[in-house]
Amino acid sequence: MLRIRPPALGAVLAFAALSAAPASAQEIPPDPLKSGMWELVAEENFPGEIVFDPRVKLSLPAAAEDQFHVPVTIDARALAAEIGPIEEMVVAADLNPIIHAVTFRPGEKAEPFLGLRIKVEQTTPVRVGVRGADGIWRVAAAVIDAAGGGCSAPAAAHGQKDWMSTLGEARALASRSDAGETRLSFRMRHPMDTGFAAGVPIFHLGELSLTLESGEELAGLEISAPISEDPTFNLLTRPSVGGAAVSVAARDSEGNRFAFSIPLPGEAVN
Amino acid sequence: MSPAPEATEDTQESGVNRRALLGGAAALAAFAGIGPLRAQSHAAPRSYRLEAVEIAARTWCVYGAQEDLTRANGGAIANAAFIQTPDGVVVIDTGPSKRYGEALAQLVADRLPGKRILRVYNTHHHPDHVFGNQAFPREALAAPQAVIEAMTAQGEALAANMYRILGDWMRGTVPTPPGRALNASREEIGGRVFTLTELKGHTACDLVVRDEETGLVFAGDLAFLDRAPTTPNADLPAWRASLAALRRMERESLLPGHGPVDPAGASLEQTLDWLDWLEGTLRESVARGLTMNEAMATPIPARFAALGVARTEFERSVVHLRTRLEEEILAEAPSGG
Ligand SMILES: [Zn+2]
Repeated sequence: MLRIRPPALGAVLAFAALSAAPASAQEIPPDPLKSGMWELVAEENFPGEIVFDPRVKLSLPAAAEDQFHVPVTIDARALAAEIGPIEEMVVAADLNPIIHAVTFRPGEKAEPFLGLRIKVEQTTPVRVGVRGADGIWRVAAAVIDAAGGGCSAPAAAHGQKDWMSTLGEARALASRSDAGETRLSFRMRHPMDTGFAAGVPIFHLGELSLTLESGEELAGLEISAPISEDPTFNLLTRPSVGGAAVSVAARDSEGNRFAFSIPLPGEAVN
Repeated sequence: MSPAPEATEDTQESGVNRRALLGGAAALAAFAGIGPLRAQSHAAPRSYRLEAVEIAARTWCVYGAQEDLTRANGGAIANAAFIQTPDGVVVIDTGPSKRYGEALAQLVADRLPGKRILRVYNTHHHPDHVFGNQAFPREALAAPQAVIEAMTAQGEALAANMYRILGDWMRGTVPTPPGRALNASREEIGGRVFTLTELKGHTACDLVVRDEETGLVFAGDLAFLDRAPTTPNADLPAWRASLAALRRMERESLLPGHGPVDPAGASLEQTLDWLDWLEGTLRESVARGLTMNEAMATPIPARFAALGVARTEFERSVVHLRTRLEEEILAEAPSGG
């Protein structure tokens, strides 16, 4: 399920600012960033028990140099070392017109670690919620300072005539370190329209999954429109990953399907 | 656009930069309209205290702070210069705001009473160099066509950002691209001869002005000294080629766009060294599969320790240059799977 917020954001904002009553049975802990949107963001993106946890690492710059490309890294390796496998990691930005950015589900062979870029409409808290087997959402949050307009300006692709012909075109690289960890980087061509630019309907990459040669899913992603144009991700696999390639399959909000593979380096461990 | 949170006089004085100032939760509370807004200061507008330093015969530089744009420095971070010719004055770059431009024009009038400003060159379209244009005679303003076009196309967006960062310092500033496009490679202005060379790399068009009388080369932002170069519009191979061209250019001395006058040409070596390190580091981070945030955390070599704002500029450069390098380094992925 993609968590896409309806466009009637003004009303939602006003409501959230006035109403302090939590709607869910679970007590939502107070937001260290004191955002008026927190309870709504929490209910929609982290349903259930929530704790803020310093073992969840969220990296982002203090200020957005380019609101269309705000680099974010989420890392729950330290948490996983203590609580066991991570089931999902959700990135959301309170004051974006579409709050949800991505849900990442690392399989057994993937580290709970992801590099991504998001668009931000204005200065906003960015959150990552990490859920393990116990169902508790462990959350980290930080504020990004930004000038305005990242979500409501049209994609750069629309300035080019032939953008449709390169839709889904992929570039990728797998690199293996001495320690045997493999990093996967890939980029797909997609305008990632949020639907907030005049005359441009919402159109974005949606589901994406990475599969090993054994047929085992390495990781899955649910991607919403605030992910930057030409979505680019960096993943980290466990040393036990082998085989000649990882296959990637994706689908966008118009039902277009894309498939490509990322060749793995030859000197595979295992 | 909502206003940026107001800085108090105290935070301005302490030189806290905007990233630190705006990054905190207090800033968010002010922005989101939750929590009390600080009382706004009604103190008299701040004024620039510009000082002219003689750097060659009848040539003065007004040095910028080797910093980021902040409310503490009013955006006065780039060098501006003026030259006395037999019949008037030539100005090179005009600073970040109308108020700065007025202070610069006043400084020229005080230093060279009765002398008319005959020519104002804009070296490139960046706002810290040209947003003082308004204070100068329209007919004197001149830049290459490509610089005028960039100022025209990007002026409003750049101004919005400058207002946001600098607040009241920007009051009344309207981007004012020159009406005169330079097409000669040589101009005689008021009895002194200037050679004009269009290079590129820091931006799509960087004007270099050489004063034939003193052999002083005004390199604009192709050269930085003791401050990390900025790359929002950079083309690194073109920039390197321009540095090579500057190295070959006959000269007595050189004024970088940021940093002290440089008779030895150290700015050309330092800028090249930084660009080489920057590109190498960014390429390696893409090849290793590092995230952008990991790349931003790369240690900066000790030889750059003396450079102003090195960490900030490096982090900005990761954002400016990453996508292009990925396009080059990531391989076309075989389709199907
Ligand atoms: Zn510049």
